[in-house]
Amino acid sequence: MTSITAYEPGASQLLMGNEAIARGALEAGVGFASAYPGTPSSEIIGSLAEVAGEMGIYVEWSVNEKVALEAAAAASFAGVRAIVAMKQNGLNVASDFLMTLNLTGTVAGLVLVLCDDPAALSSTNEQDSRPIAKWADLPLLEPATFQEAKDMTKWAFELSEEIKNVCLIRSVTRVSHARGDVRLGEPMPPGRQARFASTTVGQFTSMFVPVKHSLLHQKLNKTREIFESSPFNWYAGPEKPELLIVTCGSGWYYSLEAVKTLGLESSVGILKLGTTWPLPEKLVQQHLARTDKVLVVEEVDPFLEGNLKELVGDTFSALGPLTFYGKRSGHLPSFGELDPDRVMGAVSSVLGRERAAVDPEYAKKAQALTGGLVQARMIGFCAGCPHRATLWSVKNALKLDGRGGFVTGDIGCYTMGLGPTGFFQLKTTQAMGSGAGLACGFGKLGRLGFSQPVLAVCGDSTFFHAAIPALINGVYNQSNFTLIILDNSATAMTGFQPHPGTGASAVGEPAPKVDLEALCGSLGIRVEVADPFDLQDTTPKLLDLMQDDRGVRVLISRRKCALVRAREEKAAYKVRVDSEKCRGESCGCARLCTRVFQCPGLVWDSESQTAKIDEVICSGCGVCADICPASAIIREVA
Amino acid sequence: MSLEVKGCRELQSEVIARDLCTLCGACVGMCPYLVAYRGRIVALDECNLAQGRCYAFCPRTSLDLDLLSQTVFGVPYAADELGTVQEIVIARARDEGIRSKAQFGGTVTALASFALDQGLIDSAVLTASDEDMLPSGTAAANAAQILGCAGSNFAAAPTLAAFNRHSAGDAQSIGVVAIPCQALALANMRASPLENRNNIDKLKLVIGLFCTWALRYEGLARFLAQKVPLNRIVRFDIPPPPANLFQVFTDSTRIDIPLDDVRPFIRPACDVCIDMTAEFADISVGAAEGVRGWNTLIIRSHAGRELVEAARAKGIIETAPLPEQNLAHLKEASLLKKKRGLRKVIETSGSEDDLLYLKLTSEAVKGLLS
Ligand SMILES: Cc1cc2nc3c(=O)[nH]c(=O)nc-3n(C[C@H](O)[C@H](O)[C@H](O)COP(=O)(O)OP(=O)(O)OC[C@H]3O[C@@H](n4cnc5c(N)ncnc54)[C@H](O)[C@@H]3O)c2cc1C
Ligand code: SF4
Ligand code: SF4
Ligand code: SF4
Repeated sequence: MTSITAYEPGASQLLMGNEAIARGALEAGVGFASAYPGTPSSEIIGSLAEVAGEMGIYVEWSVNEKVALEAAAAASFAGVRAIVAMKQNGLNVASDFLMTLNLTGTVAGLVLVLCDDPAALSSTNEQDSRPIAKWADLPLLEPATFQEAKDMTKWAFELSEEIKNVCLIRSVTRVSHARGDVRLGEPMPPGRQARFASTTVGQFTSMFVPVKHSLLHQKLNKTREIFESSPFNWYAGPEKPELLIVTCGSGWYYSLEAVKTLGLESSVGILKLGTTWPLPEKLVQQHLARTDKVLVVEEVDPFLEGNLKELVGDTFSALGPLTFYGKRSGHLPSFGELDPDRVMGAVSSVLGRERAAVDPEYAKKAQALTGGLVQARMIGFCAGCPHRATLWSVKNALKLDGRGGFVTGDIGCYTMGLGPTGFFQLKTTQAMGSGAGLACGFGKLGRLGFSQPVLAVCGDSTFFHAAIPALINGVYNQSNFTLIILDNSATAMTGFQPHPGTGASAVGEPAPKVDLEALCGSLGIRVEVADPFDLQDTTPKLLDLMQDDRGVRVLISRRKCALVRAREEKAAYKVRVDSEKCRGESCGCARLCTRVFQCPGLVWDSESQTAKIDEVICSGCGVCADICPASAIIREVA
Repeated sequence: MSLEVKGCRELQSEVIARDLCTLCGACVGMCPYLVAYRGRIVALDECNLAQGRCYAFCPRTSLDLDLLSQTVFGVPYAADELGTVQEIVIARARDEGIRSKAQFGGTVTALASFALDQGLIDSAVLTASDEDMLPSGTAAANAAQILGCAGSNFAAAPTLAAFNRHSAGDAQSIGVVAIPCQALALANMRASPLENRNNIDKLKLVIGLFCTWALRYEGLARFLAQKVPLNRIVRFDIPPPPANLFQVFTDSTRIDIPLDDVRPFIRPACDVCIDMTAEFADISVGAAEGVRGWNTLIIRSHAGRELVEAARAKGIIETAPLPEQNLAHLKEASLLKKKRGLRKVIETSGSEDDLLYLKLTSEAVKGLLS
């Protein structure tokens, strides 16, 4: 990947949406950037990390989103422009701080980028982050193009400084991860001296909350005024459209395509809003007055739709009768992603027209335009993944134990443990660290008749992020569970960002390494370490921990992520299947390796009716040799 | 129940889930799916085969007793008190060292060692107990290892898992010491219609043990642990009636427990069992009522007869005629178990025509129940 400073100002460059956002921050002279990785937001801080040295800025991977926002707010308080990025779930973690930061306000520009994941392509929910803007009385910008992603980010810093408060930018997967041409400006070095000083008594404290709250509303009114003339809002279409589409963000492109494809440019107009909270009321009213039918196109929730209706409710007499179409009317779904096709359907139906037949080339074209973003969804663990091995032992230990034990999980690659390649072991997956939190509760149900063993799993990065408080809660409240820390030494799911346990910083420099054993051990609880590839050791250890039914126990299951291993070291084994020994489908095996264990490195050869190693995919971990009942999988030290 | 061979899923639903499993171990040790763990058969993953050896060998799926009797003895199933019998005597080991370690007369230990010594078998599969008295199958290749297994552990053991594993290796002629359900499973293996069998042809000798019931390890262990650390227990005994005791010995003490206190741990599978004397073994060995330190010894097969005669001739064991009234008592006890087992089977299935896992003619059923 070329770094985002590699391009000449004035040039037009193909950039990923997240890179465009990062570039915008550089052009605004950002000095501080922080985040906890989370798809689809990670590349923003990732690409800033790459140029941190050269631009003289500070970039960190924080332990979680709340800390990331707090750290960035400190920079702002000290007069340094700062940017924070997070995915929609991360906002929930950060919102505790955000909901008072809005009251104290900021000094230098502070931009918080929220990357939503409609259709939950890489998430456990598809929460729409935008209502936080309304809730927290903060300005919200929604880029619809890659150019806007950059330009809005740059401008957001100025707005933030003008109103002395956080400015929110909301992106979605298809803006963040697709690529498009962006005309570049000049990157600016931060060039400010960091220094903290409050200008008024209690400026950064919770003193005088009602006063600050009322000030916050004044800031919002000021923002509304500014938004009235924002270049990010524009209208295209006839003077008196039969139907007015009001749209924002990713919905704009879908609307544009739909109107074009239906050939309705002369009867349908599009009001594209880039500033969606607070609404530029005069501008909006002026456009609503041109029509009597309004279709609102946005992803995911009817946020804009609701706000428009609120506005109409306030000024009903001035506007005359208006009918709204969108999510509430059922013309568009308030879940999943939109696409031009869905918008076409809505437009045709509102206007009572025949649906135009879709050009067969159209789908291809649309795909190309959205940057071929439809990623094949990860459905299973990689070849040689340590999580598969750990969950194999977990499954066996639970079966042997026989008391109906189960696994509570959370968010990471190992979430896939809820599916076949993790042997359906994870029974709960909600928020970061919530496997451990749930385990705390389950482990206290003994007096209510509960007698099942509880295993909580979390990744190493997730452990630092949110499982530590739950672990301490479990110890303090004398709960009863085993926490398995799946230590693969990476934040693998989001692209291998370093974390406090890896010994490296965001910019690739050595960093102190937090010692998991020592940390857990300091709680005075039993801590064991196992190598998940050693099934013979891990299964009994787990069984023993599970049956040591008192208090909280920790198993650190430690093995580097297969993808990291592939980059850093050569394969441990050369693995092959001895087809003479392979029992295949017969009684005595029934294809345990390819049917149950399901490492993609193993394939079933229907011709010879035996298993085979796919040498391209096999990572050479050798674990399958230990599960084969016929010793037909041979591993030789590579 | 039909005699068709089904798979592991049905083994779980028809046998294990219905508490009919004796824990014989016949289904274990052949594949990665079924394992025995602390008194339970556990399926680690789902095997999707329609037919499996686990189901075929299990003594609680379908037992065609005539077929088994024809296979093992070449005669139809007797459907009487004691099954195929050539001779019944009382016996004991000559070696005092064996007798001091054995449950009763040490006949089993002595004969197993002798068979090994004579080359009739090259190894024996027996049952050993770990320090917590958890019993499991083990393969022995010398007299010391056989002696190490002496004494009865009344918790059921998955002994045949060790047979399945051991017979897949280099051993060529194997002897097994088996309680009745295990002897039935071994006969089932011999008679199996499946092509892909285990290595049952290597089985050369079955020494059966009398058995009225066996216990669930986990329940028993939890119960006993309240009285004495499990790792201090060295052996169990159930002295003959009317004592009605379960005795637990440590190195220094004996703890007498009312037999009724351990009855709750009897495996439900034993309630439907109709074999007390291991009718499908070459020889069967039990206590000798009223003759302390001796065993009752039933010689059933030709091979069994040869082994006993050679051992007697070489001074390995000594025998004496079975006292007249012992025979009557033995038959009475055995018949009582058959009646009880059959009644329980019929009560469970709800019909005299459905004997769950048994295939018996209705005349045979009537004869036994009359
Ligand atoms: C569960 C059980 C119930 C029994 N119930 C009766 C009964 O009701 N009436 C009666 O007369 N006799 C019963 N016996 C048999 C009796 O206890 C003696 O094993 C038998 O008389 C042989 O005595 P011995 O001195 O020759 O044995 P030993 O020479 O001491 O040899 C004993 C053999 O028993 C085997 N063994 C030990 N525990 C087990 C086990 N759990 N499963 C399978 N094999 C085992 C060992 O492999 C050993 O080789 C029972 C045995 C068991 C294991
Ligand atoms: S587990 Fe072993 S025996 Fe079974 S199919 Fe795979 S290689 Fe063959
Ligand atoms: S050695 Fe086996 S388990 Fe490991 S990657 Fe290769 S096929 Fe998969
Ligand atoms: S009775 Fe024997 S073969 Fe049948 S399920 Fe139980 S252990 Fe397996």
